[in-house]
Amino acid sequence: MSLFPSPLWGGVRGGGGDWCTRIAQQRPPSPTLSHKGGGSTPVALHRCALTIMLVGGLLLIAGFSDTASAQGSPLGMPRGQAPAVPIGGVLGWIFAKQAEFYRQFSGLIRAAKSDGTAAWSLFALSFLYGAFHAAGPGHGKAVISSYLVANEQTWRRGVVLSFASALLQALVAVVLVAIAAALLHTTAATMGRAVNVIEIVSYALIILIGLRLLWVKGRAFIASAKTLHRPASVGAAATPLDHQPHAHCHHDHGRECHHDEHGRDHHHHHEDEACAWGHAHAPEPEELGGPGGWRRGLSAVIAVGLRPCSGAILVLVFSLAQGLFWAGAVSTFIMGVGTAITVAMIAAIAVAAKAWAKRFADTRSGYGMLAMRGIEAGAAVVIIAFGTLLLTGYIVTERMVGI
Amino acid sequence: MSHRYFACLFALVAALQVTSAIEAGAHPHVWVTVRSELVYASDGSVTGVRHAWTFDDMFSTFATQGIEGKKKGQFTREELAPLAKVNVDSLKEYDFFTHANANGKPVEFSDPAADYYLEWDPKETVLTLFFLLPLKAPVKAKDLSLEIYDREFFVDFSFAEKNPVKLIGAPAQCKLSIVNPEQMNSDLAARLSQLGADQRDPTLTIGSEYANKAVVKCP
Repeated sequence: MSLFPSPLWGGVRGGGGDWCTRIAQQRPPSPTLSHKGGGSTPVALHRCALTIMLVGGLLLIAGFSDTASAQGSPLGMPRGQAPAVPIGGVLGWIFAKQAEFYRQFSGLIRAAKSDGTAAWSLFALSFLYGAFHAAGPGHGKAVISSYLVANEQTWRRGVVLSFASALLQALVAVVLVAIAAALLHTTAATMGRAVNVIEIVSYALIILIGLRLLWVKGRAFIASAKTLHRPASVGAAATPLDHQPHAHCHHDHGRECHHDEHGRDHHHHHEDEACAWGHAHAPEPEELGGPGGWRRGLSAVIAVGLRPCSGAILVLVFSLAQGLFWAGAVSTFIMGVGTAITVAMIAAIAVAAKAWAKRFADTRSGYGMLAMRGIEAGAAVVIIAFGTLLLTGYIVTERMVGI
Repeated sequence: MSHRYFACLFALVAALQVTSAIEAGAHPHVWVTVRSELVYASDGSVTGVRHAWTFDDMFSTFATQGIEGKKKGQFTREELAPLAKVNVDSLKEYDFFTHANANGKPVEFSDPAADYYLEWDPKETVLTLFFLLPLKAPVKAKDLSLEIYDREFFVDFSFAEKNPVKLIGAPAQCKLSIVNPEQMNSDLAARLSQLGADQRDPTLTIGSEYANKAVVKCP
């Protein structure tokens, strides 16, 4: 948490805290009561379905807005086909800043040839550019965020995933330009085709990850829906106090919930992060919380990090032409750090929002649980949608002209 | 019930708003300085637009990467011919970012003439793309406007500082004026932010607000 200066987080954290206390106060005193209202009335089911449809639709819209900006290009660089670029107060400012930073690269790289101090300016610029540019398309914010939401991941893991994918992205760009341009002297068009192959692999991986998640989460969702039709209570109530928030799980969802809800470091989160992050009881699912979880996280890192950022490639090629490849490489990695910070923040917001939604869902069981499973399954669908759109966007446009 | 429903929904909407809104903040990767000529036939109708687009140095360096010039650091038109073809072919899909209106109606262009070419400026290390965009049907216009812009701001077009647009063979009474781009201001930003993704406010063409515009009046 100390990673982020609090002004950046003020709103989110403050808000989360407020809701948290309120919900904590509203929490039913005993687990048995938590069944109230969580029953299997048709109305509840109807609302639940509606929620899921809405959420799914929203996620899809978000997906479209993301992928639309990462398709073909008029001059061989990834660019969008979105009909419009929203230019609002804050966004307009971010947009203007990015462009401003980006335009300074060539001048600073030239200057760094003769003036050592210009290199430091270049690195500072790279960091700022990375942080601002991560807001732009193609940096996997949506995929990472959806992945975290679908997986009940913690914000910490979100930070790790964001940094790993951003740094991998930087590494891919540096290695690609080093091999293609510096060693093989390929043309921009050839380099573009290489990027294209990488993109296809990356997008296919994203789809695979989404499909796997949908398989797991979709089944959990269906199982959750089925339990709504069953008589709820099977006794219960003998749960330890610190499990109170989970109590409904034990009788409502039986095996399914056990499987899904009891990560190994549940208690750790419970005590450590408490309400501020809405993580009082957001344990990691067994399949991702355990040692194998990091391996699966790695798949997301690779899927997102494989695709090099076109801005970085341009900076690298330009610095190579200026005989300062090393400066371009350092600059690219610093950009990656800036990118990672932004992506991590967005991912953390998504995680916090979900945890927040979960608090509401958890105040009573059954329907709420179903909604949460629905959100997770929806997030998995979003990942698939991203991957598919990115992939088909490429296939349809096929504009890898290498400029 | 409804309380939870809305709260849950609201949380997600909030999260998505943040992600998707920030997502859209792309920025230009290519800068182009535009010089254009409006070509007139002897009968006073406009027949086409001849563009000279100068790309920024970073993009120019990238584009020429791996092209072997006979002289180091220099490229001839012939050496750049394949690249010019790639450029023109890919720009087709974007209608060459050229938007013209004659007497209030949009003008359609055909594919560029085959004599397009790229030129390398070794001093500035920049590429300039020359091409002629013929009108599908020559048009006589009392009121003609020409704009070059990318609605998505991937390419940032701006008119050259001096004489960005010239009239070639235009009737003597025709008057050319250049409208400078409107600066991004809070009012415009507010109006833009009201628009949905597929919505077009007829009084507000996104992208063109920042475009340089040439207007020719032939009374």
